[in-house]
Amino acid sequence: MTAVDLQRNTTSRRIERKPGPVERNPRAFMRRRRIIDNLLRIGAPILLIVAWQLVVSTGLLDRRFWPAPTDVLLSFQENVATGRLAEALVSSMTRILLGYLIGSVAGILGGIALGVFRPLRIALEPIISAVYTVPKLAILPLLLLLFGLGDVPKIILIALGVFFVTIISTIAAVTSIPEGYLEPARSFGANRVQTFRHIIVPAIMPDIFVALRLAAGQAVLLMIGIEFVQGDEGLGYMIWNSWQLFLADRMYVGIVSVALVGVVFQTTVKWIGQRLTPWEKPRN
Amino acid sequence: MSDEAKIAARGITRTFGAGAGLVHALGPLDAEIESGEFVCIVGPSGCGKSTFLRIVAGLIPPSEGVLSLGSDGGQAPLAAVVFQDYSIFPWKTVEANVRFGLDLLRVPRHEADTRVERSLSRLGLTEFRKAYPGTLSGGMRQRVSIARALVTEPQVLLMDEPFAALDAQLRHLLQDELLELWQEDRRTVLFITHNLDEALLLGDRVLVMSARPGRIVGEFKVPFERPRSGDIRRSPEFAAMESEIWDLLRSEVAAGIPATGGTKVPA
Repeated sequence: MTAVDLQRNTTSRRIERKPGPVERNPRAFMRRRRIIDNLLRIGAPILLIVAWQLVVSTGLLDRRFWPAPTDVLLSFQENVATGRLAEALVSSMTRILLGYLIGSVAGILGGIALGVFRPLRIALEPIISAVYTVPKLAILPLLLLLFGLGDVPKIILIALGVFFVTIISTIAAVTSIPEGYLEPARSFGANRVQTFRHIIVPAIMPDIFVALRLAAGQAVLLMIGIEFVQGDEGLGYMIWNSWQLFLADRMYVGIVSVALVGVVFQTTVKWIGQRLTPWEKPRN
Repeated sequence: MSDEAKIAARGITRTFGAGAGLVHALGPLDAEIESGEFVCIVGPSGCGKSTFLRIVAGLIPPSEGVLSLGSDGGQAPLAAVVFQDYSIFPWKTVEANVRFGLDLLRVPRHEADTRVERSLSRLGLTEFRKAYPGTLSGGMRQRVSIARALVTEPQVLLMDEPFAALDAQLRHLLQDELLELWQEDRRTVLFITHNLDEALLLGDRVLVMSARPGRIVGEFKVPFERPRSGDIRRSPEFAAMESEIWDLLRSEVAAGIPATGGTKVPA
């Protein structure tokens, strides 16, 4: 079409605003979008793995350091068969979950207490902020000295990492509850327990779940760090030990397993959070 | 002046802050509201009218003076507040929001069910009962807020610019609805607004407040007979009265502009 045609068309034609395919058949559109979304979701990692395989098998990357996905898969099968992976997974997960549970419960309760009682907050918040910045792994030797070589110091360290993330977020969440939510409660004569149940807990819930997701990552990170330096079981040990034995395939089995643990852990926390805060509208 | 007034304010003042930052927000203010009376307070922005309502509600104490409320001694709570916005809880469904006051009062389950039911249907909320406020329009949310207050059958209903956040058409509609609702049970209402038209339509009496620090500078008995309908807005008497109040209020609004320039009094 020439410029002259365009000119003529704009003067002779009316511009119309019509429903598009989305508006004409929203259900079909939504279904199609869901299918495309799922293809993208599954397709992207598959594509990545295929690319990895190709790069390694064509010899572009050194197979000793970058084992192909198929090598990792073989090693994976082997480690599942010998029970090594399951064993490592169980001991790591026990530590993570125990530490996470203790740390988050303490962090949330502590955060609410500090959020609600001003004197407590004034007294303790600066100390918490100060201690928070100390890298947790730096105090592992101290904990080992105090509690010996068992699981206890490891669980405590994970709990500490989780504790600081949750307590700081919880304090912030409690202190930023708008007056507009507290005043109606007061005007209806709510007592402390009622205010807690009807206002404070639901109001801070969305923020707490964000903190819990961050804390889940923190917990996995700390666990791997601890297992690198101390002990002879768990996924961290498996990765470290594979390096010492120059077993790159097995190392990748460990790394991939840690990644999967992290993903599953975070997704679970997120899912629980969404179930518990149905009023929050997620935007996609 | 009698001591039997439902709400009696004597020499109420309220200041905020201290030292150099001290703001004299309200009063001294004297006022009486009789049982079953619908009183509207109008005044320029920042004149302390919301502060006065909060004092009546018991949310903040006065700095000086005494505010007394007569209780009929029954089970009904003394006062319930309808706030301007943000006041219904996003984490509770419409039904749970309405039920909130009854839960706090520990009203037996069965009775609470019936009352919530009635309240929802009175305000046309029945079909939205399971919805969260986040999915509702502003008008629906304010209906929830009114239902939440009315369901407790308070002796005094305190409304703090309940329709200010709504658009003009919706406000019109809700004013008419409130008028009808109130005429059914005629409880004592203190209604804060900056909208003269709203005050005249709803109130038995309109109190005009001065610029900050707010004092009562005028009182108007609204002569229109009950039950009223929204149609009185179009009568010449209505317009005449509106302009009469405006004449008084205009100077106060003007006075408030330089004084409030940029600084905001805590509402």
